[in-house]
Order: sequence, then C-alpha cells, then structure tokens
Amino acid sequence: MTSSLAKAAGRTAAKRRSGGWEPFTVVSVIGVALFMLVCLIPFWVILSGSFTDEQTLAGKGYSLIPQPFSTAAYKLIFTGPTLVSAYVASIFITVVGTVLALSITSGLSWVIARRLPYVSRPLAIFAYIPMLFAGGLVPLYLLVTQYLKLQNSYLAVILPLLVAPFLVFIQVSAFRQLPEEILDSARVDGAGEMQIFFRIGLPLSKPILAVVGLFYAVHYWNEWFTALLFISDIHKYPLPLLLQNLISNVTFSQMLPTAAEQSTPVYQLRLALTVVTIGPILLAYPFAQRYFVKGITLGATKG
Amino acid sequence: MSTRTPVRSSLWLGLLAVPAVAFFLVFSYAPMAGLVVAFKEFDISKGLFGSPWNGLDNFRYFFASGDAQRILVNTIVLNVLFLAATLAAGVTLAIMLNEIRGRFFKRAAQSTIFFPYFVSPVVIAIMLQVLLSGPSGSGGVVNDALAGFGLPTVSWYTEPGPWPWILTFVKIWQLGGYMSVIFLAAITSIPEDVYEAGQIDGASRAQMALRITLPLLKPTAAVLLVLGVGRIFYGDFGTIYAIVGDNGTLFPTTDVIDTYVFRSLRQIGDFGTTAAIGLFQSVVGFVLVSTAVLIQRRYSKETSLL
Repeated sequence: MTSSLAKAAGRTAAKRRSGGWEPFTVVSVIGVALFMLVCLIPFWVILSGSFTDEQTLAGKGYSLIPQPFSTAAYKLIFTGPTLVSAYVASIFITVVGTVLALSITSGLSWVIARRLPYVSRPLAIFAYIPMLFAGGLVPLYLLVTQYLKLQNSYLAVILPLLVAPFLVFIQVSAFRQLPEEILDSARVDGAGEMQIFFRIGLPLSKPILAVVGLFYAVHYWNEWFTALLFISDIHKYPLPLLLQNLISNVTFSQMLPTAAEQSTPVYQLRLALTVVTIGPILLAYPFAQRYFVKGITLGATKG
Repeated sequence: MSTRTPVRSSLWLGLLAVPAVAFFLVFSYAPMAGLVVAFKEFDISKGLFGSPWNGLDNFRYFFASGDAQRILVNTIVLNVLFLAATLAAGVTLAIMLNEIRGRFFKRAAQSTIFFPYFVSPVVIAIMLQVLLSGPSGSGGVVNDALAGFGLPTVSWYTEPGPWPWILTFVKIWQLGGYMSVIFLAAITSIPEDVYEAGQIDGASRAQMALRITLPLLKPTAAVLLVLGVGRIFYGDFGTIYAIVGDNGTLFPTTDVIDTYVFRSLRQIGDFGTTAAIGLFQSVVGFVLVSTAVLIQRRYSKETSLL
C-alpha cells in the first residue's frame, strides 16, 4: 500500500512538483474527508436504523450501531404484496422507460448528427425549443388525464420523460465524433443509411449509449413526481411514491400484509424501504460511475 | 461536405426521428398550446376549448392573492442561495481534490461525494427526518447532538426560519460532488507549465491554488452561473416538495412557484389560476433562459448546440 501510494505521489509530484506535505495539502485532505463523512453518515444512520428493533427506535432514537438487531422490517417488505408490487412497478418503469427513451433519443440524435440537408437543422431547433419554453404542469396534467386518459397507467410515468433534449445534444455531439471515413467506406460497400446506423453507428457508440441510458435509468428509478400526479391506485405505486407516502404516514395499514397496525414496525419499515430503494443504484454505481463522469463533463461544456 | 447524403436516402433516414418528433409534438408543443387555459374559466365538463374566456382574470386573481409576492420572493431567494452555495462548494471541493495525491483515496473520495446526486429526493426527505425529527417527532440525530452539548433542541419542522439554510445544505450535499466533477475536469485542462512557472517563482501550494487555479476556473464558473441564473425561475420542485410536502408551517420560507402550482392543482383543482401562474413562469423563464444562453454563447464561442 505504501509503495503504491508513493508511486502515485511520485507521479503527481512529477506533474506538480512540491516537497513534503504543505499545510494547504493537509487542510485539503481533511476537508475532503469531512465532506465524505457528511455524505456517508445519512446513509449509515438509515442502514443501521433499518436493522434496529422498532421499540428501541421509538424509545431511544437512532444510533450508529443496530442494537438489538432486527430484520423484522425486511421480512415485512418481502412478504407484503404492495411492497413487492411497488418494486416490480419500479423495475418495469425503469426497464421499459430506459429502453424506449434510449431508442427514440438515439434515432433523433443520429438524424441530427448526420447534418442532412433540410432535415437536421430544423429537427435540432425543434428539439431545442422545449429547453427554452415549457407549457408547464397544468396543460400536461390535462393532456394526460383528459385527452390521453392514462391515469393509473405506467405509461403516464414513462411517456412525459421520454426524450430529454439535453441528452439529445450530448448524444449528437458524440455521434458527430465518429470518423466519417468509416461511414463512407460502408457506403462504398453498398450499405444503406439505415444499415449504417444499426450496424456501424450504434455499435461504435456504446460508451455514449451507456451514459445516456444510465441517465434515463436513474431518472426513471427515482421518478415520483409524475407518479404522484397520475397514479392514485395504491397497488400500482412505484417505490419512490410508496416511500413518499410513508413519510406523510397516510394509509399505512392498507399496504401491509397484516392489518394489525399496533405491531407494525413503522419507522423501521420506512428506513428499510429507503435502503431497498437506494440499493440497486448503489450496486450499479461502481460500474456506472465512470460513464456518468464522462457524461457530465461532456454535458457541462455543451450546456 | 454536408450534402454527402443524397436527398432521397436522407428522407428515408429521417424516419428514425419520427418517434421523437411525435413525442415533442404531444408532450412539449401541445402543452404550450394548452396554456390558453390561463385565459379561460376552465370547466372540466366543457373541456379545454369549450370553456369560456375570461381575459386576464386568472392573472389578477393570482397577483391579488397575498401568495404571489411570497412565492416569487422565495423562488428567487432560494435559487440564489442554491446556486451560490453549490458553485462555491464545487470549486472548493475540486481544488481540494486536486491536492490529494493518493490515487486510491482520490478516487474513493470522488465516488463518495458524487453519489448523493443519484439519490431520490424522497430518500433525502427521509434522511432529513432522521436527522431533524426522529421517530417520535421530537429528537433526531441533530437534536441529540445539541442536547449532548447542553444546547436547547429545536422543533425543526414547525420552525420556518432555518429552512432556507437547511435546504441550501441539502443542495450542497446533493450537488457539491457533481459540481466538483465539472470543475475538476476544468482544472485538469490547465496546462502544466503555468504551475511550473509558479513553482520556479517559489509559490506555495496554497498560493498556486488561489492565484492560478481559482482565476482559471472563472470561465467554467461563469458558464454554470449564467445557465443557473437562466433557470432561476424554475425552483427545484422535487427536492423541496419531497421535504416540505404539505407542511404549511414551513411555507413562509419554502413555498416556491413550482410547489405552489402543484398544490393548487392537486388540492384546489383551480386550473385557470394555476395555468396563469405557469404561463407567467414560462414567459419570464423563457426571457431569462434565452438571455443566459445568448450570453453564454458569446462567452464560449465553440459551444455550438445547433
């Protein structure tokens, strides 16, 4: 460990040479470490609380070590039909939403990126205007409930978020970086424009597809605002909406397998459900993180 | 160069864009037209086009109600706080991260502070409850700590005063790492010889951070600032609503345009007035965002979106 640290330090020192540990470096390390702690503590308190016995929680409050240890809330989550169905709902929304959104966004981005005469530029403007001016909540609400009649359908959660103009422009700039020579050589070999998109464009763009797909996936997984607006049937609640309901403590008994409200570990359950909600993101995070970093550094300059 | 693809195959290729065009027509452009409801006395049974016009009554009603001033002030104050705090946190964290030499620690630090960006507002709301109110409604981690130091505890959820700061803290927690990634990328692109020159002149690391890195981050900060100011009329609905919800005691300092609109739509079902506020927000927002984009383009010529 020391040798690898020394090697890394040596490498940085070669770049920004400076001897020893200056006070500023020490302050920086401490500052970053403190911020890391601030980021981690809420997660830890929730994780620990979700394993703490309900009585202890109510009596003594939260602590950093679960004592006495209890898995009652998790048992309840995975036996309660509403809780399981909320999980299934969230997975459905995330998977279907991401696949649809990524396909549609890729199609549009490719057409804009190819700089086709009379097509690409108008399309780019068409996709850009919604970034400047939005109709807002009321017309959207009327559209979904009165005209499309999508209440209590997962489509009401998926459709309004289907194409994010911001991600379109990230993808366009990535598609434009593909070397034109490769596409040309395919044309010489007699490939049609569609074939070039599916056989060459998409396979060569896997990193950007990962970036955009991950942005959509996280968005759909966390989405509760459209769900709050359009889904009123408690058995169709996705995870974040169920969680939001637990915050306000309403209609609690309806969601639980046993109606005995007295013995239900309310607080513990709330925390366990939070853990279950963050869980998949946390698991995917180590693999996804580098793509995200790439995505936002790309996006920051493209505004 | 640009006319490489013949027109016929370009139309054929255009088919790929059809689903997205349909999406924008239905979910972006139709709602824009739907804003006419702001000038109507909306009646669900008569529908959008059957409802009678009522001129500017909806706007008068909104601005005459005492709420208008409150939510406008809150929207601007909170957004200014959020923007200033997250930019400052991002710059500070990036400069500090840049000081860290151990590769493993640096990567671990970046991963950790970036993660809150992916956490749902609902989860953040629960975390805040754990910290500020505890299971029994009083208590919570913060109050336990206060009591431990012999300080008086605070009933946070009935006290509107501190909330702008609490929400700002939440924003730093949520976006500090995200912003630092952007600024760290900017730091990486600073040429090495600038630092070598500083080195030769005998600058300490603190001096180099303050006199070299910080000034060179200005363009990046300016772009983010301008874009942020452009969006100042759009509150962060999700985070604020998830945390505050329908807790009326906190409205004096936390109610913003978006949360107000959402509540009046769901609870009162007043479509006309709500749409009027929405239209007002969209128009002012449009002016701000367009100005911001124009300024930003002048600032950095190479950012060509179209």
